[in-house]
Amino acid sequence: MQSRYNDYFGEFGGRYVAEVLRGPLDELQEAFCAALEDPEFQADLERVRDQFIGRPTPLLHAANTSNELGGAQIYVKLEGLANTGAHKINNAVGQALLAKRMGKRRVIAETGAGQHGVATAAVCATLGLECTIYMGVVDRRRQRPNVFWMELYGAQVVSVTSGAQTLKDAVNEALRDWAASFDDTHYLIGSALGPSPFPDMVREFQAVVGRETRQQLAERRLTPDALVACVGGGSNAIGFFEPYLEATRPRLIGVEAGGRGIETGEHAARMLGLGRTGILHGYKSKFLLSEDGQVALTHSVSAGLDYPGIGPQLAHLGEAGRVEFRRASDAHALEALRTFARNEGVIFALESAHAAATALDLAPELSPENVIVINMSGRGDKDLFITARELEPEAWKAFLSEEEASL
Amino acid sequence: MSTVPIMAHMVSHYPDRETSLAVARALLDAGVAYLEVQFPFSDPSADGPVIQQASTVALANGFKVEDGFELLAEITAEAEVPVYLMTYASLVVSRGVEAFCRAAAEAGVAGLIVPDLPFDYDEGLYAAGSAAGLDVVPVVVATIAEKRLAEILARRPQSLYVALRSGITGSETVLDSASLEFLDRLRADGCRVFGGFGVRRREQVEELAPHLDAVVVGSQLVRTLSSALENPDEPQSAAPGVEVVGSRGANGANGRGSESTEAIRAVPPAARAAAVGAVRAAATELVSGSGSGTH
Ligand SMILES: Cc1ncc(COP(=O)(O)O)c(C=O)c1O
Repeated sequence: MQSRYNDYFGEFGGRYVAEVLRGPLDELQEAFCAALEDPEFQADLERVRDQFIGRPTPLLHAANTSNELGGAQIYVKLEGLANTGAHKINNAVGQALLAKRMGKRRVIAETGAGQHGVATAAVCATLGLECTIYMGVVDRRRQRPNVFWMELYGAQVVSVTSGAQTLKDAVNEALRDWAASFDDTHYLIGSALGPSPFPDMVREFQAVVGRETRQQLAERRLTPDALVACVGGGSNAIGFFEPYLEATRPRLIGVEAGGRGIETGEHAARMLGLGRTGILHGYKSKFLLSEDGQVALTHSVSAGLDYPGIGPQLAHLGEAGRVEFRRASDAHALEALRTFARNEGVIFALESAHAAATALDLAPELSPENVIVINMSGRGDKDLFITARELEPEAWKAFLSEEEASL
Repeated sequence: MSTVPIMAHMVSHYPDRETSLAVARALLDAGVAYLEVQFPFSDPSADGPVIQQASTVALANGFKVEDGFELLAEITAEAEVPVYLMTYASLVVSRGVEAFCRAAAEAGVAGLIVPDLPFDYDEGLYAAGSAAGLDVVPVVVATIAEKRLAEILARRPQSLYVALRSGITGSETVLDSASLEFLDRLRADGCRVFGGFGVRRREQVEELAPHLDAVVVGSQLVRTLSSALENPDEPQSAAPGVEVVGSRGANGANGRGSESTEAIRAVPPAARAAAVGAVRAAATELVSGSGSGTH
């Protein structure tokens, strides 16, 4: 049996925080472990999953694509059909319910792509919690539509202008807020990383994705050969893989952002020898760092994968060989996005499109009896401004000019 | 007025090597009891915007850990008081904990302060530090659980560093009686106790001094330097007036983006002298209660 609170995963994980945050993290660990054993908490979680998130999400057989490739059968877990458009809502709901149970009245969160911010803001709206979202100004600019949604849900969106002004800096700013506000505030971290107990907690709240998938496969008498998920911080991947971590099959494949190509240095791939073991944001893992330990700048077309660290459990599973890591470039992800839109009527989030790209490569290597499942962690609506600009630059520019003229 | 022991904080290579060496000398001249030199880190999440911005500038100007040790060696050779090195876990573990401690000892520092390597998640820092003859200083807060504090004290640290308010450096400290009692208890245990976070004014220093071995003044002196560098024409002072930065939120507070990073790049000698003078005056005021005199 896997334990639900581990702290360390091999050499990775831990709780490397200044003393001021130690008390709140100890309190959180206790509350989390108690909540997992509490039937009332589980019932609340079930109810919100059913009525608000819209679970279970479907498992689609991508028959057209599978036939076209002539290899493995490709299935897609349509996690992007969850309310607010991504798997992020599973974690946001779990932690927000926990925050309420702990008597907190305010929630803070960091966001990069804005998906975690949107999910957190939505949950806070429904649960009556005050909500502050930290977002780097660079991300705010490229994910402007999500800022509108967060504010519409009643959240305060604070622009972070320190450091590189991206997701990692938003985490720093949220940690600063929390150090001064933990009495009445919960820090709702958005991926399976940060000081313990966050990596364990986020995995537990995301494990619903993997458990549902396993049941849906069993109902169709299918045995998966490979599961494929994109890896930013690693929350959708670890949740999707969770039921299978102790087994030796299926293959578990995590896909990192290859960006403009590893050789350009503009990517966000930390595994396969690129990252260094380090400590940042309260946990030990693989990070993109300079030789001195300064945090490197990253790039991905998908803001959600544009982060220098990877969750400690995935880093460990990668080193231990249980999870295979691959990369998909910006261009490769966009191509996969187009393929699934045309063949299956499904638009992937750019993050998830990295998993799709790798699955499209893998399928022809396997035979038609084999089953590959992709976690479509998000749907692509949020990326309109990026995808349209990348795929149809002229038409999109013309449209935006007309829009502006009409204002 | 009487002299009080101050631990003065500065950021290595902010804004450049020359200026930071001059700042160290000015602080030593002002009579500080301890010097605390911070190695810039890209993501200093236990510090506030003032120190983060200073770190960003130093890094933009090419700071390397190796340069930091080189500067420290020069400072400690001149200093007659102990010099502590403060930084973050990432820099320590990237070099290797033992190698980092050895380099620090060779550079002549008395001890290390690494807030995100607490004693029970320390990556071997405490052992490596004492092997190298360094005083590795645990950072504690007044709200720490009794059991944890007992564990820390049982390890018989030479010194303790008390963060006097919940939160980050650079915001106003409110000194309640519970905090002061906490300090008295620690000293009764025989530890050398440094305390600060948010100390700005001579009155705060005077109030705290009887309860501490040294009052840590961090952001305030860095802020004095950065304001002087940015507004070279205005007279500077560490007096109460310097208005800054709320505690919550990053909005605008640390909003000095890349433009001012560029502007600070090459510090003209006259501006450097004026800025260093402002730091000296501020430190003198805090240490001796006289000498700010710029109003
Ligand atoms: C749709 C989607 N997928 C994946 C990610 C990456 O995060 P993680 O690796 O934690 O799943 C994000 C992050 O914003 C996202 O929005």
